[in-house]
Amino acid sequence: MSPRVQGVATERAIQVEELSRRYGDKAAVDRVTFHVDASEVFGFLGPNGAGKTTTIKMLTTLLQPTSGRASVLGHDLRTEGRKIRERIGVVQQQDSFDQGLNVETSMDIYGLIWDVPRPQRRERVAELIERFGMEEFRKMPTVDLSAGQRRRLQVAREFIHDMDLLFLDEPTVGLDPIVRRKVLDYLKGRVRDGLTIFFTTHILEEAEYLCDRIAVINQGRIVQIDTPENLKRRFGSAKAVDFRLLQGTSDALASALASVEGVTRLVQDPDTGSYRVTTVRPEFVIPEIYRLADRLAVTVTSIYIEETTLEDAFINLVTDDDRPIAPRGG
Amino acid sequence: MNTYARLVYRNLRANLDRASLFFELIFPLFFIFVQGFGLNGIVPPFEIGNGRVVSYSLFLAAGAVTLTVINGGTNAGTQLWFDRKNGMFEQILMGPFTRAQYILSIIFATLIIGVAGSLLVFLLAFPVLGASFQFTLAGVLTVAAALFLGTVFFGAFAIALSVILRSSETFQIVSTFAFFIFLFTSSVFFPASNAPGAIQAASLANPLTYTTDIFRAGLFDAMTPTVSTELAVLAIESAVMFAIAVFAFRRIRV
Repeated sequence: MSPRVQGVATERAIQVEELSRRYGDKAAVDRVTFHVDASEVFGFLGPNGAGKTTTIKMLTTLLQPTSGRASVLGHDLRTEGRKIRERIGVVQQQDSFDQGLNVETSMDIYGLIWDVPRPQRRERVAELIERFGMEEFRKMPTVDLSAGQRRRLQVAREFIHDMDLLFLDEPTVGLDPIVRRKVLDYLKGRVRDGLTIFFTTHILEEAEYLCDRIAVINQGRIVQIDTPENLKRRFGSAKAVDFRLLQGTSDALASALASVEGVTRLVQDPDTGSYRVTTVRPEFVIPEIYRLADRLAVTVTSIYIEETTLEDAFINLVTDDDRPIAPRGG
Repeated sequence: MNTYARLVYRNLRANLDRASLFFELIFPLFFIFVQGFGLNGIVPPFEIGNGRVVSYSLFLAAGAVTLTVINGGTNAGTQLWFDRKNGMFEQILMGPFTRAQYILSIIFATLIIGVAGSLLVFLLAFPVLGASFQFTLAGVLTVAAALFLGTVFFGAFAIALSVILRSSETFQIVSTFAFFIFLFTSSVFFPASNAPGAIQAASLANPLTYTTDIFRAGLFDAMTPTVSTELAVLAIESAVMFAIAVFAFRRIRV
């Protein structure tokens, strides 16, 4: 697929080769190489300080790379910054708002500086205010908005102008779940219309919901790039097996299970009494649970496997420790 | 609409505090109508050049109009400060604008505030100034040059300050302190030539002295050969301060 706006067809929305940004001896971004296809949602995940925002600042031409090459929408990052900026939108991680204006006017003036004609501005402001559920505070000064309302405004405002590529740096921070879903669904709709999105978040369910591919960056380097499904399959190795006993508790069973090959952790929830086994081999451990229960004359009343999550895969990828980590419990 | 016009319009709408603007206008009027008339009775009229003799209230009224130039300049720093604090600085630079366009739009907005503010104060002070106002083309151009150069200097000065100073509190304190130094070592309140040596020396380096002197010369048709020298000095000071502001601005880390 290709970006459709302005009649320019490029297969790759972003192409990055060995891009680095150093601050003295420290490399904030260290020789990263990746590409983003047109009309793709590309997730860029990493722990705090991994280099996500620095990468976005470079790709949006705010910050000069120390070395490496990149093109955005077919334009060279170093020499064609203005052309790039004309065709991108950016929702920064930090707040950005015009403090002397109310919500509606701030959206209108943002459209004005992007040279959106007045009739279109009016139409889009009205549509976005409705889409993002901002009717109640449309006349409120931006300084008086809550963090979540301000965030909503910041995301909505960016859609006032046309763009081919949108950078979203943790756009849903501070949003309640309903608004967050609204925003994500809106983004999905825009992607269907041909928009390419470069997306960072710490909420991995969001990344899974929205992203076609994900790059995991840690300490300035890209650790892995793949689809969410593949990342989970390849790196989300630890799975949780939850089961309950008719007898409630069996120390003998717990003790026996703890020594079963492939079990990395066993905890019992003190409130519900259910056991949780963390294992990399559920297909082996589940029959063992039944076998040991039979032998110890206890009855398993329910058992289920909790699917591995993107969070498991992410944590495994960015943690130096080799041990699998249980999703929760104990 | 032109890129600069769009950015200037935004600066004027988004970053100007109406209450501050109101008090920036009231401040010079207070000098004109209270201090000027108050001291008029005890200060005899004196010559300001080219044989023109004016009363103290007239002398002060003209000086007070140029006060709006400093006030307008302070606004430039405030605009940049707000944009940096509120994330709009980066947001705009990630849009289809250059750094030069952004900084010039602040200067242009400041010029509008400075010149419009001066005109407004002049109009409000017309009952005092009107009778002595000598309308000549050269005079109007001289007045315009004084307001333009003065606003550029103080706008650039405030921009440089707002880049260097990291907190808004420090920016407010330092800019207010600098405001009083510029004000009291200039010829706004008294002719610098009659002041003690130290103040005279300071006034020679003070761009507000030149702004005020040139403004008065244009307003009262008191043109002397010194005015062109003062214009040249003010132009150089403004150009240097503008260069410093651009240098400081380019060093802002994002």
